[in-house]
Amino acid sequence: MSDQPKVKVATVWLGGCSGCHMSFLDLDERLVDLFKLVELTSSPITDLKEIPPVDVGIVEGAVCNEENAHVLKTLRKQSKILVALGDCAITGNVPALRNQKDLGEVLARGYIETESTCAGEVPNEVVPPLCAKVRPIQEFVKVDAFIPGCPPDADAIWYGLTELLAGRKPQWNPSNVRYD
Amino acid sequence: MKTLTLTIDGKTCAGAAGQTILEIAQANGIEIPTLCFMKEVSPWGGCRMCIVEVGGIPKPIPSCATPATDGSVVVTKNERLDHLRKLTLELLFSERNHICPICPMNKGDCELQMSGYKFGIDGIRYPYLYPAFPVDLSGKYLGLDHNRCILCTRCVRVCDEIEGAHTLDLGNRGVKSQIIVDLNTTFGASTTCTNCGACVSACPTGALFDKDAAFHGALKKCVQVRTTCAECPVGCGLVVYTTDNRVVDVFGDQDSPVNRGHLCVRGRYETWAVPRERLLEPMIRTKGKLAPAPWEEAIAAIRAATARLAPREKSLLVSGRLTNEAARILAKFRSGIGRVGMYVAQNEAAMCGEPDFAPEAFARIDEADAVILLGADPARLQGVVAARIRVAARKRGAKLVLLNVRPSDLDAHADISSRMIGFESAFWKRVAEVLRGCRRPVLVYGPHAMTSPGIAAMEQLLAIFEPDCGPTVVALPSTTNALALAAAGIEAVDNLSHWLTTAPVRALHVCAADEPTGGAGILHDRAVAGLLHSMEFLVVQAAYVSRLTEFADVLLPTTVWSERDGTITNFEGRVLPLRPALTPRGQAREELHALESIYA
Repeated sequence: MSDQPKVKVATVWLGGCSGCHMSFLDLDERLVDLFKLVELTSSPITDLKEIPPVDVGIVEGAVCNEENAHVLKTLRKQSKILVALGDCAITGNVPALRNQKDLGEVLARGYIETESTCAGEVPNEVVPPLCAKVRPIQEFVKVDAFIPGCPPDADAIWYGLTELLAGRKPQWNPSNVRYD
Repeated sequence: MKTLTLTIDGKTCAGAAGQTILEIAQANGIEIPTLCFMKEVSPWGGCRMCIVEVGGIPKPIPSCATPATDGSVVVTKNERLDHLRKLTLELLFSERNHICPICPMNKGDCELQMSGYKFGIDGIRYPYLYPAFPVDLSGKYLGLDHNRCILCTRCVRVCDEIEGAHTLDLGNRGVKSQIIVDLNTTFGASTTCTNCGACVSACPTGALFDKDAAFHGALKKCVQVRTTCAECPVGCGLVVYTTDNRVVDVFGDQDSPVNRGHLCVRGRYETWAVPRERLLEPMIRTKGKLAPAPWEEAIAAIRAATARLAPREKSLLVSGRLTNEAARILAKFRSGIGRVGMYVAQNEAAMCGEPDFAPEAFARIDEADAVILLGADPARLQGVVAARIRVAARKRGAKLVLLNVRPSDLDAHADISSRMIGFESAFWKRVAEVLRGCRRPVLVYGPHAMTSPGIAAMEQLLAIFEPDCGPTVVALPSTTNALALAAAGIEAVDNLSHWLTTAPVRALHVCAADEPTGGAGILHDRAVAGLLHSMEFLVVQAAYVSRLTEFADVLLPTTVWSERDGTITNFEGRVLPLRPALTPRGQAREELHALESIYA
């Protein structure tokens, strides 16, 4: 087993709360078993920024801004298998709540009308421009597997990843899936 | 009845002509997924989850809305059907904002979520629409978030076919379709919504929800206790959902032969969603002020104050909500107390004279071709009776004659509606005209039929019918257990000031039980307030703080409906169980233990 090359994995954190990555760390002692088979390349956990070619790309978060879309497309290009981790990537989830409002209203509420803000203005440099609507990742790229949950608990992540490592697509059923 | 035989998933199944494929499959233990189907109301065939293949028909058809035909071969489960069901679910998920983590029906109370789990839906192949539908939080007890609606119309159908109100319907077209309240107003502004909450019970998602239950815990994880609503003499079955010794929500018991799962606003919401101040510890008045005291001291204070009095100087006045068991225990120490009376609604005492239960009253109303209401007010007091009458008149075309004191929404569905004053012979001719030819009339009368115009009207009504086809007469009192308590020998009192002045009462003990008003209802008779002021010694045993508690020398806290045990007898004569769903709060105790230790 130790002779086999490790499966290269990259993860990205788009429009989400990082809860899915936290839940990944909740694998606890199973992380040791996982890293016997997997090499984590670029990821918010390793803080490596450049995405190398990998076997599995894992995406947390929805596409909220132009940078999210760019990172997602890069990861897709670099990955053999792309996995949507958590509800934001899969449905838009909480970030998509803003879709009920016009973008101008959302920005004004966030940067100008906030109770603690004096003479605020909407930033137009450094930060990436927001998309008009928050969208799930499969509306931009092909997604090969999904791990639902907000966040998916460690057991769901373990099931999803071990199935993929075994060369199978995770099959969800009432005993192992949650949308919350 | 013509029987038919069909093959479902290779199993030979028998059914009756007119039954749908779904009904026969369910009766034969074959499960077909559904979403918009509800067995209590007419089929809609809108969600397409229950599609099946029938031999000879190229397209899948909805089994809930398709009558079975003899000899047909039905397949309920195969790859094609499951694929189509998955697509249906994905369309539903992508059409509105089904964001589980922020929905109160999360954690297993949502049928859409459960269907998603069942079919292993992990990603949606359609683009999400993210519409911006409004959220209506203007209702007193219920909220409507159109963003979570799947347009199954279960709410529309229960509102129309069970409550009979038809407050809800579908508005707009296509992707803009939405549930509308009245003519597209809000729950808060609705003139027809009765707040029965049936729509919320029927909703498979979080679109309709109880505001006071939202985010208070998953119903699926609550403890469920089946008990009986003690708000009126109908005696509806309840399922009380509790967690951490508090009520999360209350629904009707589908298995109750009385209400078959339906409730009115009193049982569904008013018992728990209305904040009320509980009496939580005994109190004794010292130097003009009520101060907390242990039970033993409070009981000792009552014994000390009443021991020197002759029995005739002591009276006990109880609520008509007490249980049958309470009546039996009261009989044991009646000799120590001059009089035991039960206060009832205005004009209600005469109904208790010869307690008159109406067995199978609901069954008679359900099959009635005419309903006559005389001096009763079910729309306000016994909402489940009003619902059955509304359905009888609106859906089955039963004649409806109302001779009542107060107007109600039933007036809109009545053939004749008149206030109970000065009927002339021309009026009775008109009533006779309306009721001519009716074979199964039901006459429901309430306390106001016990007045002289009411009794005169009753005589006129009964004279309309031939002696052998007279109406089924149903007495509908307004006090929960008044008929049974009266039958157990407790005097019903509807003129309290008269009752209090006809004996030399020096000490009065009022058992208000868990009346929502805390027993303050007896003060509606202004003379009573004066009499209570001049009373030498007054004990009030109640669950809630009220205007009455201000009069008391000793206050004793009692249990509320959700903490009680025992039985009550409904207006049909059914003996129904009260089961405690919670342990009593504070130092509240059921009144009988205290009464026994004081007077026995």
